[in-house]
Amino acid sequence: MFGFLGPNGAGKTTTVKILLGLVHATSGRAAIFGQPVDRAESRRAVGYLPENFRFHEWLTGRELLDFHGRLAGMGAEERGKRIPEVLARVGLAGRGDDRVGGYSKGMTQRIGLAQAILHRPRLVLLDEPTSALDPIGRREVRDFIRGLRAEGVAVFLNSHLLSEVEMVCDRVAIVDRGQVVAAGPLAELVGGTAELRLELDRVDDAVRALLGRFGRVFGVDGRQVRVVLADGRRPAEVVAALVAAGVGVDAAVPVQRTLEDVFVGLVEGRDG
Amino acid sequence: MNALLIARFTLKEAVSRRLVLAAVGLSLAFLVLYGLGFWFAYGSAANQAANPTNRSAPIFASTLLTILGLYAVNFLASLLALFLSVGAISAELDTGTLLAVMARPLGRAEFVLGRWLAYVLMVAIYVTAMVGAVLLMARVMADYTPGDPVLAIGLMVLGAVLLTTLALLGSAALPTIANGVVGFSLFGLAWLAGIIEWIGGAAGIPTMVNLGIAVSLLVPSDGLWRGASYYLMTPIMFALLPAGRQFVPFASGDPPAASFVVWAAGYVVVCLVGAVMVFRRRDL
Repeated sequence: MFGFLGPNGAGKTTTVKILLGLVHATSGRAAIFGQPVDRAESRRAVGYLPENFRFHEWLTGRELLDFHGRLAGMGAEERGKRIPEVLARVGLAGRGDDRVGGYSKGMTQRIGLAQAILHRPRLVLLDEPTSALDPIGRREVRDFIRGLRAEGVAVFLNSHLLSEVEMVCDRVAIVDRGQVVAAGPLAELVGGTAELRLELDRVDDAVRALLGRFGRVFGVDGRQVRVVLADGRRPAEVVAALVAAGVGVDAAVPVQRTLEDVFVGLVEGRDG
Repeated sequence: MNALLIARFTLKEAVSRRLVLAAVGLSLAFLVLYGLGFWFAYGSAANQAANPTNRSAPIFASTLLTILGLYAVNFLASLLALFLSVGAISAELDTGTLLAVMARPLGRAEFVLGRWLAYVLMVAIYVTAMVGAVLLMARVMADYTPGDPVLAIGLMVLGAVLLTTLALLGSAALPTIANGVVGFSLFGLAWLAGIIEWIGGAAGIPTMVNLGIAVSLLVPSDGLWRGASYYLMTPIMFALLPAGRQFVPFASGDPPAASFVVWAAGYVVVCLVGAVMVFRRRDL
């Protein structure tokens, strides 16, 4: 489960399209499963759900899957078995013979997911799979993605929705204006950066110096101050040190930073 | 294999979107109308043959009616050829249906070739069926026997294939509407050049003839029709025509030069290869 996170226009969709050979890279090289992406064969074990995609509206759901199954190189017998299976899996079992043009947004998204996993790919690239959906649809898609993980399918999820990435991904890369600004396991990106919000009877240079021993001090506002704790530092140590130095502590609130804090900090930090 | 898959899909698309139904319906209407027109017009000319000064009236009438009908068929086939492929790639790009398809292990060349095969098959069937129907009616009603109908159909099919391939190339490079405008303009230009060449020939103005030839090399569609029209006329008709053999502005009294037909076939190949190359470079 790899989350590719970035603001709109950061280059997420372009990256996925380069991986699929849909867009030519202006520089550099890309490969999937060791095969360069300009070879059609590199896409054999890959499923893809484009952002804001549409399918040929005159096809029925079943015909659409049959066409994509043939393109993916599936035999007739395999298609006959697998198509009802994936239709049922995405909850379209009774609607396979309806035209795709008559599908609702949620159903369109589901048939899109069905075609992406039809040929049992080893890697599935999903580009903003929930952006057009209501909250219930979003949860269904999240459950679907988790189901893929259980089957051992690698998922590359493009999203600007932090909560979504946080909920399903193990590894995350944050991209901004075409550059990866942070990458790693989700726990590493988010963890180790606990923050302590303090309200003291005074915040002077001496207090700042004291707090500086525990981490990065910022957000001084009257008697309030925030500290991003360095690795291994615990809030209790900070409070003990403050009390020992004779500083009155009115409030000390530890805050677990979310991916959003990391993301906004990184992206905004690059501005200007 | 993949190209055949795309060809099959394109044919199915034409059926599902009622394109085939519309084409068949309109063609039948055309044939009925044409048959009635032929019946009455030829009947009136046949009556005049009783008059000794008008012995050849039925021959002129049947030739004129047949050539006119086939000229209309050629025009319809040209429009069909242009409309079929005008959005072959660009419309798929606009609606966003191309992304999921091209993300499959399918080469760009296979997609273009598959589309092309389906269009070629459709225009070939259309031209053969329509020319066959018109010639059959002329045969039954006026005992009209063209010089070489097979060769004529071949040249007309080549003309339609040429236009559909030209529009396919355009659809790889241009938005659908722009491609339609360009394709139709080129078709119209070729038609105009054919008329200019005919007038130039009739009036003995070499500049006009050369101009017409130059344009027909640029877009050989009208030239191919003129070539076909030669084989659609009867040997008796040529015997009756004066020297120079100019009959009507939209038909030719001379067979097409072999080099011109080779040029047109090469033109198709270049357009097809060009469509593949342009589509390969395109970011989707």
